[in-house]
Amino acid sequence: MAEVTEGAETVEALERRIGQLRVAVREAVLAGDKARAKTLRAELKRAEQAWEDVLAEAEDAGITQSAQSPHSRQSAGNAGRTATPEQTGPLLPLREQVHEALSLLQVPAAPKLIATVHEAFFATTFPTTRVTSLRRDEERSFRAAPFARPYYICAALAADFLSPSRGLLAVSTWPMERRVIGSLSPRVDFLQAAIRIAEAIERIPAPVPAARRLLWRFAASIPGAAADASHIQPEAVRQAAEAELSVHKDADTRTRREAAARARHQLADTEQLFGTRSFRPAADQEA
Amino acid sequence: MDPTEARLQKLRGRAMPRNHNARTISALATNPGCGRRALMDAAGADKQKLAAYTGYPAPFGQSQFAIVRGNAFEAQVKENGAAQLLSLLREQLRLDITEAHYSDLGDVGGNETSEVRHARTKRLLTTVDEKQGTMFDHPLLRLRVGGRHAYLEPDLIAFQLHGKCHVVEIKSFAVIDGQADPAKVAAAAIQSAVYVLALRDLLGEHKVHDETILVCPENFSSKPVATPVDVRRQLTVVKRQLSRIARIEDLLGCCPDDLTFDLEADENGIPRRPAREVEAAIRQVPANYAPECLSTCELCYLCRDEAHGTTAALGKPVREELGGIEYVRTVLDLARGAAPPPETEEVAAQLIRAAGIRAALL
Amino acid sequence: MTLLTALARALAAETGRAQPIRTVRHVHLCDRPLVLIPLQLAGEACAPLAAMVGDDRDKPRMLTVYEPRDRTQRFDFAADLADVVLGYIDSYTTADPPSEGPYPDAPQLLVPNDGGVSFTRLLSRSTRFRRTEGEYAVRHTVPLLGRWLNFYSERCEAPASALLLSMTAVLADHWATGQSATEDASLASLLGWIDPPPGMTGAAAARAAEDPVRCPPAGPATDPSFDNEVLAVRIAAIRTARASGDGAALHRAQLAMEAALRTQLEPTWELMWRAVGLLRVLPPGGHVQDRWQADRRAFTGHVRWLREGGAPAPRRDGAVPAARKLAILERDAQRLAVQRAFDDPLVLAEYRLTGEAFAGVVVDAQPDRLDTSGKRAKLRPRITVATGDEVVAEPGVKLVSSTRPKQNAVVVAVTDDGPDTRVVLELEGGMGHSLVPPQGSVPAVGETVTYTTLRDDFQPVPTFPEIADTPWTHGGPPSAYVPKDEDATEEWS
Repeated sequence: MAEVTEGAETVEALERRIGQLRVAVREAVLAGDKARAKTLRAELKRAEQAWEDVLAEAEDAGITQSAQSPHSRQSAGNAGRTATPEQTGPLLPLREQVHEALSLLQVPAAPKLIATVHEAFFATTFPTTRVTSLRRDEERSFRAAPFARPYYICAALAADFLSPSRGLLAVSTWPMERRVIGSLSPRVDFLQAAIRIAEAIERIPAPVPAARRLLWRFAASIPGAAADASHIQPEAVRQAAEAELSVHKDADTRTRREAAARARHQLADTEQLFGTRSFRPAADQEA
Repeated sequence: MDPTEARLQKLRGRAMPRNHNARTISALATNPGCGRRALMDAAGADKQKLAAYTGYPAPFGQSQFAIVRGNAFEAQVKENGAAQLLSLLREQLRLDITEAHYSDLGDVGGNETSEVRHARTKRLLTTVDEKQGTMFDHPLLRLRVGGRHAYLEPDLIAFQLHGKCHVVEIKSFAVIDGQADPAKVAAAAIQSAVYVLALRDLLGEHKVHDETILVCPENFSSKPVATPVDVRRQLTVVKRQLSRIARIEDLLGCCPDDLTFDLEADENGIPRRPAREVEAAIRQVPANYAPECLSTCELCYLCRDEAHGTTAALGKPVREELGGIEYVRTVLDLARGAAPPPETEEVAAQLIRAAGIRAALL
Repeated sequence: MTLLTALARALAAETGRAQPIRTVRHVHLCDRPLVLIPLQLAGEACAPLAAMVGDDRDKPRMLTVYEPRDRTQRFDFAADLADVVLGYIDSYTTADPPSEGPYPDAPQLLVPNDGGVSFTRLLSRSTRFRRTEGEYAVRHTVPLLGRWLNFYSERCEAPASALLLSMTAVLADHWATGQSATEDASLASLLGWIDPPPGMTGAAAARAAEDPVRCPPAGPATDPSFDNEVLAVRIAAIRTARASGDGAALHRAQLAMEAALRTQLEPTWELMWRAVGLLRVLPPGGHVQDRWQADRRAFTGHVRWLREGGAPAPRRDGAVPAARKLAILERDAQRLAVQRAFDDPLVLAEYRLTGEAFAGVVVDAQPDRLDTSGKRAKLRPRITVATGDEVVAEPGVKLVSSTRPKQNAVVVAVTDDGPDTRVVLELEGGMGHSLVPPQGSVPAVGETVTYTTLRDDFQPVPTFPEIADTPWTHGGPPSAYVPKDEDATEEWS
């Protein structure tokens, strides 16, 4: 198949070659030959691109008009859906969007929740993978020029190890007590977030469906907050969340105060924001 | 390093060790008579790679769609301090509202060796009472397999209620109108039983409940539903099978000292050892092939090839119907009137009649 | 597993070819069955990905879901499938149902394997309660398709029904391969043993069929290496094209995805029709038409139910229908076993090996023998059968012959005669009312006969209370199942 030059290939020849390459890639994968699979994948990608190009040219020339007809229904439907403008226009830098969402929530949150909140209240969303790398960028920036910016997107710290808590982001200007996470803190922060979201919805005259869906996702996990998705009142969600919050608040505050004091006492500035990886609690040193 | 550890490392060669998990242990437990699997797993050999290299690639793999779906469902149930799971536990087990603690045992700062993580799991699960601990995510457990410790890193939550731990397993197969794929439920129950055993090893027999909690999506949605699963029967099975796995030392004793599954990879990771030689090395350790291996063991095609001509390769029901005779050849010889040894006289008579009837009718 | 089948497997392993274990075909096969091969997205409960469907080998219809996680596209798929399936069913019901009795023929669905049956059931579950107006409306054919698929998957649980067949199950019932039952679950591998390409042994063909790259699995699950190396790229291309808003690029991406999925479906489509051809060669068993008539009656009943506006079947059966169904299933399974034995000497042979039947030659016959011990003389012929089979029946036991099912044969005496056994039988019934038996009603000397303890006269299914009288121990009378809002709006994600 290698002797055929790509430019000269017809659609049929390309399709045959794509088929052969797909077979070859899968065989390489099954045989555990990663290097070969990689080379073949690249070759396959080129062939698929060539196929697209040939078809695109042909379409421009109006040759495949008739071939298109059996799919016209689907194409029309999909074209209709894609006609709406892209919703991911980066109006603000990512760190500012994350800051907006976290400022609404007022508690440490995972990238997924941050993205959902931003979509519900600020009408744009972003891939969570970008949020994950944001924390590294922030740490680099802080190390290069500490406190040069008014705020940093930083880590929440696990209360016992003061290590960065898996996947949670916070804002550097928040008090340390809010940024450390004890065993009750995930629940307390969840309830706080529910209250914040309920309040935010009450403030806007016509909340978008995404905002109501978000509120329902919180309400569904709070006793007495709402019976079902169609009968959901922000006020009731807020009250239910506050009721449960009052049960946990004292115990959680004690843990967080103690851990925050420890963090301020033991950690350098950078570690206070981004966590330490060297601390071992006494009990584990016997192990 | 103890001598057994050294031998196992030699067997594995320079490859990265593969750790046991509940799936490998339950697979081993379904075929406890297989010394090959027991030894290769204990050595942490990469069976999948070895199978592919010797020309017998494993007949199963995982689709990225299934992996993505499974991870997404698990993340959803666990997100926000396992809020969805907490609701299920409150509804179904009448969990008190004060019990809402969530600790991620996977978060251990920079100390990520298995020993440290296991110690932390042990410390938290044994010292923390219900006022401070409800759900413990990512515990690191260990279990004795073939006389050696195997670490397990399950995606499970140990859930504490009334002084006892429950194993909570999150699976992404659907429960539709209260029913799920029986094979998947059975596999999940066996895996849960492995975790219960490992948790009991850590906390003591009476500290871990034999009822586990299976969390799955309900119907065609992604809404979770919790189902209690009584794993007493599976516990008995796993315990009995684990006790039948030969001691690794004994298995090593039957192997030549210089045996190794090393692929002699060059600096680019390309194996240089002839595939036949690797295959011959694998064949030095006796296997116990059964068709069930086809869905649980990466080496199944190699072992099946080896088992060619045996009645075991046709499946246990066939072998039993044929009186447990080992080879197809022997069965057919007897059916054609060869003189049977005394212990197979009865089977031989039946085979002759069966063959006679078949011949007369076809 | 029986000894005969185990022996056949051993022979298959030796010869490298599948061995027949039946002499007749035990299922009905329509002239024009509908072959349906569904594929679903891995990891989801019932996310249709594609299907190949049709009643004409040369004209398969291919359906593709370009975004398998999109709810709207799933219902579009269901509607497209409904067009094909309902169109096919309608071709059997052009007239109103006959005032008495069933339609002359019924539509038959063939899927590759048990997974295909499960898919059918799940697709029915996720479509039959949908509403055709208001919020979440679907096309009107979608719930109707769901109700038909429910009917078919329910019938499939009845052991004697041939309305919906799993091809691997039917093939494995008729041939023994030299591999295990686990491996027989693959249609390509099974057919490799039964009908290998020229110049190849069945064993080699079956091995070749295990290469998922050259021989895709028959669904509903796709091969993981196809998912990871081909499908994922195709779905990503569609998303990219859609996001870019380039309609032509989207169309190309859809064509490419369809072509990729076609490679996974076409080989199975060919296998299905080859399997149909292999089964057609076998003559149907004597009771196959009887059982198909029951299927036709069930089908006609369902047509009537739908035309009279009957409600869809509930998510789960109530206590009374469940108990009635179970009793019918048990009786049907037993009756099926007997019918198969009577239709097929190779099946009957299984019973000969266990002593529940024996075959032999009539060596003596007294066709005119009268029993005069009572007030009136009765015709009670006696015959003596010499058999090499083991006979476990003792004097007094009632036997029946597959060729004269209405005639009872009571064992009078069993005696050893060298390697053979001689059985004296007294016959009753099946000989008219005079004292002289009609020609052929009594086995003649020299005739080969088979007698068995299996009987085809069954007790009727016990009567169950009316649904309205369901006892309180079983939950009391259930309220009739009315699809609820949540049924219609239930997520399918």
